Amino acid sequence: MNSSRVQAYIWRHRRNTATVEVRLSSLELKHTFFFTLHSYKLSFNMLTKGAIEALTKCSNDLQNPILQLVNIRKIDGGSGPARFRLMMSDGQHSMSSFMLSTQLNPMAEDNRLAPNCICQLKRSVTNVLKDGRRVVVILDMEVVKSADEVAGKIGEPQPYVEGSMNKGPSRAFGGKMGMPPSAMPSTPGGSSKIVPIASLNPYQSKWTIRARVTNKSGIRTWSNSRGDGKLFSMEIVDESGEIRVTAFTQEVDKFYSIIETGKVFYISKGSLKIANKQYSSLKNDYEMTLNGESTIIPCEDTQDVPMVQCNFVSIADLQAREKDTILDVIGVCKSVSDVTRLNTKNNREVSKRTLNLMDQSGKLVEVTLWGEEAETFDGSGQPILAIKGAKLSDYGGRSLSASFSSTVMVNPDIPEAYKLRGWYDKEGHSMAGQSLTEARTGGGGNTNWKTLADIKTEHLGHGDKADYFSCIATIVYIRKENCLYQACPSQDCNKKVVDQQNGMFRCEKCDKEFPNFKYRLILSANIADYGDNQWVTCFQESAEAILGQNAAYLGQLKDSNEAAFEEIFQQANFHTFVFRNRVKLETYNDESRIKATVMEVKTVDHKEYSKRLIMNIRKMASAQ
Amino acid sequence: MLSRYISRPICFVRRVEKVHPTGNSFSLSDGDWSAASVELNEPLDEELSGVVEVLGMVSNKGTIMASAYNILREDKGIPFNLELYNEVLKVIHDFPQHYPFGIATSG
Repeated sequence: MNSSRVQAYIWRHRRNTATVEVRLSSLELKHTFFFTLHSYKLSFNMLTKGAIEALTKCSNDLQNPILQLVNIRKIDGGSGPARFRLMMSDGQHSMSSFMLSTQLNPMAEDNRLAPNCICQLKRSVTNVLKDGRRVVVILDMEVVKSADEVAGKIGEPQPYVEGSMNKGPSRAFGGKMGMPPSAMPSTPGGSSKIVPIASLNPYQSKWTIRARVTNKSGIRTWSNSRGDGKLFSMEIVDESGEIRVTAFTQEVDKFYSIIETGKVFYISKGSLKIANKQYSSLKNDYEMTLNGESTIIPCEDTQDVPMVQCNFVSIADLQAREKDTILDVIGVCKSVSDVTRLNTKNNREVSKRTLNLMDQSGKLVEVTLWGEEAETFDGSGQPILAIKGAKLSDYGGRSLSASFSSTVMVNPDIPEAYKLRGWYDKEGHSMAGQSLTEARTGGGGNTNWKTLADIKTEHLGHGDKADYFSCIATIVYIRKENCLYQACPSQDCNKKVVDQQNGMFRCEKCDKEFPNFKYRLILSANIADYGDNQWVTCFQESAEAILGQNAAYLGQLKDSNEAAFEEIFQQANFHTFVFRNRVKLETYNDESRIKATVMEVKTVDHKEYSKRLIMNIRKMASAQ
Repeated sequence: MLSRYISRPICFVRRVEKVHPTGNSFSLSDGDWSAASVELNEPLDEELSGVVEVLGMVSNKGTIMASAYNILREDKGIPFNLELYNEVLKVIHDFPQHYPFGIATSG
């Protein structure tokens, strides 16, 4: 007989017997032979011997084992998707802790996974629970023989019992393995295979992923009634998807310096929870938090891991989106302004830069960059700018801000960037574009304009925090008594010094004595508008602006020429300014009073003021 | 347009178009309305250009008999803004109850 291809089907009739149908196929000859075998070895050749034991022991040697599905049970997922629990057998042993990953649920739902069917396990991960029990999560599986093609249960599989269990991880590997956890195989993540980000869920904690960091935030610290805290967050991506990762306190110390944007890492054993969509635009129902068990190890083999995943929103569509949404944008930087520096409320300096972004929709939007990004951004040559995780604001209509956790990419190497470049060079450069962000008036947009009467009627300053507002008011009186004090001459210290009466002045803050001091102003003034008046306190800069003289000169004048000194105060009266004020209700000994401090004094921009008044008049008229 | 205000005192703010060589009169225009002619009691003793505010009576012929004029500088101090001024005028005319400009006659 010639050797030919033989197709053999193993049919099971009874336990321990098998009927083999062998077909020799050639064009002329078709013979069917039936064998009845009393050896159950043949039937077991189909299933991968020892697979159950190997899976349970997290062996990495197993290649696509073939198992038989003994039983399948649906577990209600509550608010999440349903889970299916399977009992699988390799003919020798059975194990009932197989969980079907949710992406394979359809296989169970359409009854492809019925008891007795033969399956080939293509990808799985074995997780060890805290009590030592094993759960094998099935990530990819194929039914090689459907249940109705199989006669029944193959062999007499006994439930697999490990050497020792329930006593914790140190004994979980039993005598055979003999390795304490610390000497576990050096493959990153230890016992687990690499799983895709898309498979991560809160029900398993022992997994390893391999992902690239697309964005890493700075360290954010806070201090509240419960104490101090810090965190940093990052976004990571692999072939299957992306996810946001946050590390708190100790994990910040452990991992912050290891993580580098653009590099690939093996990460294992983070905690998963439902994602707070407020902080992230990533496509993942879950987000991860690193904990004491988590590990992060750099990965050298980065070929398959993608660079970044972005879901760009057209600039024209920004109009329809809600404010505070986090989204990705890409466009041509049509124009850019210079870097400016602002002082935050905590008197910290921060750099800021605005630019205009335009895309094929013909619409423009103003984007604000902060900090180092603002300083280093080079807008020359109209570069393509992509921002992942920008924050949409309703300032000026619609505008964008690159927040603390956004990723800014200049001329990124992605297809959308090339498309934009081509469009811009051909037609975009000659388009004026329509901006979604209204040009700001000199006052600096978003100014909280009030009148002095509003302080009382709106109870400004009565809340937990101080209220800030701007108003246009006229100075009607300035107290010249006690307007100057002697301050520490040191550069950054303004503390009042104590006159030692021996020609020396002592500063308690610097803990030093000086032979001199510098004069500083604290002015108490009364300002008024058509409706009300208000006592306000002005410090150095605003005081000097109001009086039109610097503190040193005033100090000198006070000691030498009383009349001239008084004249300055007279001259300062009845000037009108824009005052930016801070008001807060303060209580001293059962008495509550509004304390108003002038943060900044500016000259009135009459054009802007008139426009604003006209606008308010028209608004009031139409409201009637 | 001025025919409505014949024999009435008006305050007229417009841009100077042409000054008559004698200096006794000049014309005003702002593009919307046809030129209005202003006649002075005494000839001009200075260069007149830019935006001026003219106070006077409208004559039967439709010219303004000026009793006073002010040059509103657009380049010095707080620059005068004709556009904004027009907006404000509209507001004043739309809400006369809030802006009761009028000449009180005594007796």
